[in-house]
Amino acid sequence: MELLARIAFAFYLLIIAVGAVMAVGAKNLVRALVGLILTLFGVAGMYFLMAAPLVALMQLLIYVGAVAVLIFIAIMLVRTGPEGEEAKRKSPRQFLYAFLGLAAPAIVLGGTLIKNPLDSGLVPAEVSVQLLGKGLLGPYTLAFELISVVLLVAMAGAVLIAFERRESR
Amino acid sequence: MSPLMLYQLVALMLLAIGLFGLIWRRTLIGMLICVELLLNGAGLSLVAAAQLTPASAVLGQLGTLLIMGLAAAEATLVLAIVIVVVRRFQTSESEAVSELKG
Repeated sequence: MELLARIAFAFYLLIIAVGAVMAVGAKNLVRALVGLILTLFGVAGMYFLMAAPLVALMQLLIYVGAVAVLIFIAIMLVRTGPEGEEAKRKSPRQFLYAFLGLAAPAIVLGGTLIKNPLDSGLVPAEVSVQLLGKGLLGPYTLAFELISVVLLVAMAGAVLIAFERRESR
Repeated sequence: MSPLMLYQLVALMLLAIGLFGLIWRRTLIGMLICVELLLNGAGLSLVAAAQLTPASAVLGQLGTLLIMGLAAAEATLVLAIVIVVVRRFQTSESEAVSELKG
């Protein structure tokens, strides 16, 4: 069974890596979005592997179902073709800055992680959905209510920002 | 290497690639895609830390659910901002909106 888990982990890791590189490197934004969706599926698989099926399903529902569609609509509204702004040549200086942005956390956090190895159990904790629901309605009610308020405010704010005022233009 | 460390390294990879893309991308939507990568790395790290250690697994999983809610709210707002920027500047390039008026 352990071998199977390792194989599944390697498979999901491959999906995540390919998707992430595609999401960052693709010249066409739609391709980048497909890469992002690939990564989201890989991360959902890792949640399944960690015995967190509710989080995995929510990942598929919220990210793949809602956020990806939202980004696709944004791409559609902006109407960037394959020869859009992303396809222009970028200067090596910009690559240097971006690489520094990649290297800083990789060196600091990765170095810390490798220097202080974390030990953990091999078998993930299993939590039933009932327990999660009780947590949401018990100790973490305030966070639950606040996130719904945040979502409501974000949606109302989005409508307010994007609403076109005719008389002012 | 323990499983927890492997998961944390994957989350770190997502963080690093996301940061790289955030600087590398020119358009606002490309940057939004990279922010989603960053948030996914955060969620993965949180669930791994909660599931594979004696820490409270409920807290970790609910925290990740809250991150997803925040990501959805953030994507909604960014979509609205992108619409406004495109309407006003006819482009979604981040360079075009980097100058203040005044």
